[in-house]
Amino acid sequence: MRSKLPDAASSRKMAASSAVVAILASIWLCSSIAADASGSSSETTMHTNNWAVLVCTSRFWFNYRHMANTLSLYRTVKRLGIPDERIILMLADDMACNSRNKYPAQVFNNENHWLNLYGDNVEVDYRGYEVTVENFLRVLTGRHESAVPRSKRLLSDEGSHILLYMTGHGGDEFLKFQDSEELQSHDLADAVKQMKEKHRFKELLIMVDTCQAATLFNQLHSPGVLAIASSMKGENSYSHHLDSDVGVSVVDRFTFYTLAFFERLNMYDNASLSRLFNSYDPNLLMSNAYYRTDLYQRNLQEVPVTNFFGSVMETVHTDSAYRAFPQKNTPRETRIRTGNTAEDDSRRSILTDMTKAECPFTRIVSSLESKMETVGNLDSLVNYGLVMILPVLVVSVWLST
Amino acid sequence: MAEIAESPSTTEHPLGTVGASRSKASSSALRESDVDPKTMRTTTPGLKRLFLTFSVLLSFLLGFPFLWKTVEIYRSPLPFGDMDALSKQIESSPLQFPCHFQSVFLNFDSRSSGGILDPRELRSSILSEMTKLTSQTLERQCGSCGENFTLSVVVDSGDRACRQSDERHGNGLTPNCSYKCGALGALNLGDGEAVDEALRSALDESCSDYGGKLYTVVVVNGDGAGEGPKALVGKHRHGWISGRELDAEAMIGRMAEMFVKIFMNGGREDGAIHGEFMPVGADGRVVLSFSLLNANPDDWFYDWDFQKLDDTLLNPVIEALKPIANISVESQVLYHTPKSSFSYWDESLGSYIFSTKDLPFFVNSNEWHLDTSVAAGGRTKILQFVVYVPSANECPLSLQLPSGEISKTNGFISPMWGGVMVWNPQSCIKYSGSGPPARLLMHPDDLHRIFEVLMGQLRQLFGLKSDSIYVGAADVLSRQHTCFNLHSSGTTLGSLSRLVQSLPRMIIKDEIGKQVKFSLEAAQLAQTNASVGLYEASAASSRQARSLAEDAFFHPSIMSVSYFSFEHCFAVYSPFFLPVSLHVLLAALREWRRYKQEKAKYVRWKVKQVKAA
Repeated sequence: MRSKLPDAASSRKMAASSAVVAILASIWLCSSIAADASGSSSETTMHTNNWAVLVCTSRFWFNYRHMANTLSLYRTVKRLGIPDERIILMLADDMACNSRNKYPAQVFNNENHWLNLYGDNVEVDYRGYEVTVENFLRVLTGRHESAVPRSKRLLSDEGSHILLYMTGHGGDEFLKFQDSEELQSHDLADAVKQMKEKHRFKELLIMVDTCQAATLFNQLHSPGVLAIASSMKGENSYSHHLDSDVGVSVVDRFTFYTLAFFERLNMYDNASLSRLFNSYDPNLLMSNAYYRTDLYQRNLQEVPVTNFFGSVMETVHTDSAYRAFPQKNTPRETRIRTGNTAEDDSRRSILTDMTKAECPFTRIVSSLESKMETVGNLDSLVNYGLVMILPVLVVSVWLST
Repeated sequence: MAEIAESPSTTEHPLGTVGASRSKASSSALRESDVDPKTMRTTTPGLKRLFLTFSVLLSFLLGFPFLWKTVEIYRSPLPFGDMDALSKQIESSPLQFPCHFQSVFLNFDSRSSGGILDPRELRSSILSEMTKLTSQTLERQCGSCGENFTLSVVVDSGDRACRQSDERHGNGLTPNCSYKCGALGALNLGDGEAVDEALRSALDESCSDYGGKLYTVVVVNGDGAGEGPKALVGKHRHGWISGRELDAEAMIGRMAEMFVKIFMNGGREDGAIHGEFMPVGADGRVVLSFSLLNANPDDWFYDWDFQKLDDTLLNPVIEALKPIANISVESQVLYHTPKSSFSYWDESLGSYIFSTKDLPFFVNSNEWHLDTSVAAGGRTKILQFVVYVPSANECPLSLQLPSGEISKTNGFISPMWGGVMVWNPQSCIKYSGSGPPARLLMHPDDLHRIFEVLMGQLRQLFGLKSDSIYVGAADVLSRQHTCFNLHSSGTTLGSLSRLVQSLPRMIIKDEIGKQVKFSLEAAQLAQTNASVGLYEASAASSRQARSLAEDAFFHPSIMSVSYFSFEHCFAVYSPFFLPVSLHVLLAALREWRRYKQEKAKYVRWKVKQVKAA
């Protein structure tokens, strides 16, 4: 949506006298300040640094594309400025040195092998069997054993923006780790809630590229969280293309189009998040990318992508050295951002309520499911069910005598 | 087929007929043959079956408490009430510290000031000014002096009268803390250092540990230079206003301003320091990591004698910041560390220029491997201080401010990260000899200047102005950090209590219980110390409270994913015990019912016998 404010101000300036302009400008300023101040408490802390937690949860050679996804995003995030010491990279298996890899020590995300993702300066923090649900939750909540080194900890503070990217196989409200365990949506929501209570982030962007990824966000309630998923409930996320030389699919569609967006950017750019989110085309993705903004107070058009994907340090000039006479204070430097307000993308990714033609069985099952969802307290229903076991048992035993 | 009377056996006979008893003589007692086994029996029912079944049932019942005990979860008892009370208390009543102020009017005799100065009047007017100034900012801010500050005024007019306003009672000041009449003789107002020293020796610093700190402002009516009144702040807890022909009333405003802005608020407009200027780690430690970066060692490379600097320049600062954080220092020299932003040659200024817009991109984290500290634990904060020596094709490198002027310090900070300073070598002539260039040791004067800038940056990182040198700044830091630490420990303990109560089946180790207990004790101690006025002690105990609370909250055993819900336990154990116990129960009930029936039969037979007899 175009921002009409500058046009309105200029037209008013032409029409009214300078006094009216001053009054209107001051009113607008006050209301914008008030609007900002009435936002969440995260507005008051300064944005100090960016962190990235990139997780690949699949093992085995045929899940090559998940590793390539994660490594591509790692490369992007490093290129845009986040240093290794603020990236936690978790790879569940080693594709580069896998015995089935025809190109040893090389990982590609493209069939033309344009880019070796494993080329230089890759620092993997959690590898192989260390990537478990427990370790992942420990990284998020910060509850490590005392011997865990600093490079494996998420040392964010209350001014950090964190990017959390997860890819692998998933389903309805879960994400599969290592083919043996699952991360459930309530575990993730609980970890985010504890992070928020301990002020471990100012804003959090969760990107998930799995099947039915949007269900992973169902239980999120903490403010300051932005979430984007590659597909909705009931949809799969597909891989982009197959590399016949390596022998497996090398990248997923959602990540491929995300990377295509970022390859056009450099460190000094300020494309906004809404442009990123609107760049996903459901026809190309073969699924509907879903993003959730109800927990996030700021307007997506004003948030540059480098807020999460790059690294912008807040800097303050040192005006004087440690000496005896006072000097005048220079005003604090703030980074002035000009938001990209011209959104002229015709492609949208708004989720649509698709009514499909279903067979009667599916209809019954889905109506049951929707009824279950309306039940308020599922725990008590389960307890009633357990208690009902006893009379059933008694009755059956009595009948058998 | 005559009916044959047969004598039925004592136990029930399956073929026992009902009417077999009729053939018997009625005179004899009812014989067993008269008894219908279905309704009567002649002997009491045995207890063996009952005993058997009930013993099995009893063993199950006896075993149940043992089973319950073995699946019980050990939870160390946490004082939830106290934890919630602490967090509520800290939020509702912000911590206020007692502050003591003193103002001395020197050399104001009645000739120059048009009347005898009354200390009490002066005191009330200064107080009103100060309350006016403090009410502009938030009064009830945590860590401020609040409303309970004391003020005493002394008018010292040379050898003659020295009048004081009465403010001795109740504030715990011992008599030798306040200004002694005639202690300040003639002051050479031209030399700031000498005045500072004279004031320090006159105002006897040794009493300041008890009952709060004493801040003094001296107004000297002397014959200084002809310009207007000058206000200066010394290195210790005092300042002075000097000038000639001063009017006492006119100085009241400036004095109040000095008290409030400098001593109460530490030189900032508002009194509070934001969270991003409190770079103390959760365990109360900070590591200062100093790095000398040689961008291109092929041109030249420098080394520094860090140990000498550590002893002379750093140690005083570390000592001053001791109550706030436990500081450790490390240093390194790195090579081949170019920066990642670009600079351009400016002919008029004669150097390569980078502007403030490039500052966020200056730190090249790909090549600068700064975070290799082994001194820092998991929750310690590291502050990086980087001295950057540019390469020959960017030498000299200067920072240009938005106003167009060149920065004097050539440095900048990033809050919570550290500071960077660019140092240009003396001559920018590229080394053109063969072989690698020799290692050049930095000259001590250069190093001294660099360190002045770095210490200014350290002050900036802690929220002070980079040139504040007076000890009062450390007081302000102590107060603010006490506040922040107490607030943080309160919220942490509150979160912990909510978390633990929401997971009723999570094991809570003894260690966590101990940490919580000690944290609560330390928080209590910090509050008591603050109310008495011991700034450093309250800062230290609040730091300990925060570190213990964080240890308890981040204990590695509090992971909800490891503990199963009650439904899970029920689902695991019920297939073992539920069917078996049901059968045992039913058997016991059945045996009991049978016993009752047999008993009733026996009673009936007995009754019949009695009736027949």
